[in-house]
Amino acid sequence: MNLSVKIGSLTLKNPVTVASGTAGYGEELSAFYNLSEIGAVITKGLSLKPRPGNSGNRIIETPSGILNSIGLENVGIEKFLSQKLPFLEKQNATIIANAAGHSIEENVELCRILSAEKKIHAIELNVSCPNVKEGGIAFGSDIQLMRKLLTEVREVCTLPLIVKLSPNVSDITQFALCAEECGADAVSAINTLVGMKIDIKRKTPHFNNKVAGLSGPAVRPIAVRMVYQIFEKVSIPILGLGGISNVEDALEFILAGARAISIGTMNLVYPVRAAEIAEGLSDYMTENGIDDINDLVGYAHSSGISPQ
Amino acid sequence: MKIISTPEKLCKGHYLLHIECAEDCLPGQFVSFKLGRFTDPLIRRPFSIFNKNGNDIEVVFKENGRVTSMLKNMTDFSDVDVSGPYGRGFTVTENENVLLIGGGVGNAPLHYLSKVLKTKNNSITFIYAARSQEFIYCGDRFCTESNEICYVTDDGSFGDKGFAADKLKSVIAKTKFSRAYICGPTIMMKSCAEILIKENIPLEVSLENYFGCGIGICSGCSVDTVDGKKRACVEGPVFDGSKLLWQYL
Ligand SMILES: Cc1cc2nc3c(=O)[nH]c(=O)nc-3n(C[C@H](O)[C@H](O)[C@H](O)COP(=O)(O)OP(=O)(O)OC[C@H]3O[C@@H](n4cnc5c(N)ncnc54)[C@H](O)[C@@H]3O)c2cc1C
Ligand SMILES: Cc1cc2nc3c(=O)[nH]c(=O)nc-3n(C[C@H](O)[C@H](O)[C@H](O)COP(=O)(O)O)c2cc1C
Ligand code: FES
Repeated sequence: MNLSVKIGSLTLKNPVTVASGTAGYGEELSAFYNLSEIGAVITKGLSLKPRPGNSGNRIIETPSGILNSIGLENVGIEKFLSQKLPFLEKQNATIIANAAGHSIEENVELCRILSAEKKIHAIELNVSCPNVKEGGIAFGSDIQLMRKLLTEVREVCTLPLIVKLSPNVSDITQFALCAEECGADAVSAINTLVGMKIDIKRKTPHFNNKVAGLSGPAVRPIAVRMVYQIFEKVSIPILGLGGISNVEDALEFILAGARAISIGTMNLVYPVRAAEIAEGLSDYMTENGIDDINDLVGYAHSSGISPQ
Repeated sequence: MKIISTPEKLCKGHYLLHIECAEDCLPGQFVSFKLGRFTDPLIRRPFSIFNKNGNDIEVVFKENGRVTSMLKNMTDFSDVDVSGPYGRGFTVTENENVLLIGGGVGNAPLHYLSKVLKTKNNSITFIYAARSQEFIYCGDRFCTESNEICYVTDDGSFGDKGFAADKLKSVIAKTKFSRAYICGPTIMMKSCAEILIKENIPLEVSLENYFGCGIGICSGCSVDTVDGKKRACVEGPVFDGSKLLWQYL
């Protein structure tokens, strides 16, 4: 039975990863399971300098989900390499570093530094970050801007490059196509959806930043639809995520076209869940006589009915 | 770990639960509850340890929203997942004259703390603050663990009338303390911390801010300190009160 999948030149031992920002740098989750049991650990979004993140409220529960406004708090690339990476390496984890630069230059520099690091297996580029040099518009919501970013990043990035797409656009497939054209090895979808909470007692937005990112099971149908649509348009692998809480949810994404999947918000609730899902996928294959997980990828498309 | 008793009403809006737990727990640590097998409510809720006796933990909760109002009426806890203990607890000193200041449900962790401090030969003065008499719970149990207990209510319906900070001023004017411990609403902790810092009395506070995961992975609970942002669920919930940047809390 084969559970391993390929993202560019990188082989994941199984399709289950933990999503950026919901797994820290792996230290805490390693108390719950051996990090080498899952396909990969995707780190918190990294920047060149440490970022303190947002002030004020940072998280609140919503129906079957959460809104977060963490603001990409992270230790910075230097401290990540010297203090966090050695731990992940010792755990024999497959490590995907998430780059979260706020300018093209910062992202290029991050990818250059990360590519020089033997212990890192791939880079996931978070294009939902605002481009602070040009009015703060997110790279991932403007095709021209994203093309410029990806072209420059690809030149220095010698590791498999996964572009993490923003769902806050009218047609995500255009951005997936752009990533493929720029030489990305894979896309991941989806990042959080922009949402908002108003505090009716204070009569103000709940978060200082006003808007926040929605994630968790509430967003799952949207994420499945997006993965399905992207699969129709591109041939590079898709890392699917958004509200995955169990094996059945993971299978939905795989059947929609995801080569690998990520567990995000559910790590907060059940820290051991990613390892359980990896094991559950294996049980599912045994029970259903499936030899290779890759045979299931995009299977839902073979019915011939496409959305729209 | 599992809940082994139905909630017992202690006073207005406050309930007591028993949990079976074989782990060692330090005063100031918390356990966290996930209600139900499904995804709404979704995230875990943290609750401080009110008491520990052998393998029996007690938790006092106040009805405050979704989960706590569901919890108070529950009789079957098979779908409640309890985990912990988590977090960094209070410093347990020996042979000292210490002051404990609790506000509302925030008195809960200080009960377990006073019990442990007593075994270490400390002399304990307890300021128990609440909105009014109807919100005071387990008064007798707090009494047995403290050398002196002073009640303060906002409306004067039980003990002195006023806020915890008013009582704190009069108590420290009479007696010298080597350390203070506080847990309660942020405004109460802030006003008490200001006084204690001015008097150079070391203080530890237990924060009760909103948690996303309770285990250090989401950074949803970070608070500002003189040493930068710290995650309250793993680097706290107990902090050195003189190191918190109170203006941002
Ligand atoms: C370390 C720690 C220890 C704690 N110990 C105890 C304890 O021993 N006993 C106890 O009773 N409590 C304790 N708490 C607090 C307790 O965790 C919360 O009261 C509990 O999570 C409430 O859950 P809920 O679902 O009932 O309320 P929720 O519905 O989650 O609401 C909780 C609070 O969140 C805020 N909130 C929710 N929705 C909104 C909104 N729409 N807009 C603005 N604000 C909102 C409000 O402040 C509200 O009171 C502790 C907290 C921490 C961090
Ligand atoms: C608390 C929190 C922090 C996050 N931080 C990041 C981040 O730093 N970089 C990133 O690309 N995505 C981040 N995300 C988005 C997740 O990786 C994921 O794309 C999204 O939450 C959807 O998956 P889920 O519903 O399974 O959580 C964060 C999500 C949450 C809930
Ligand atoms: S609540 Fe998630 S890090 Fe503290």
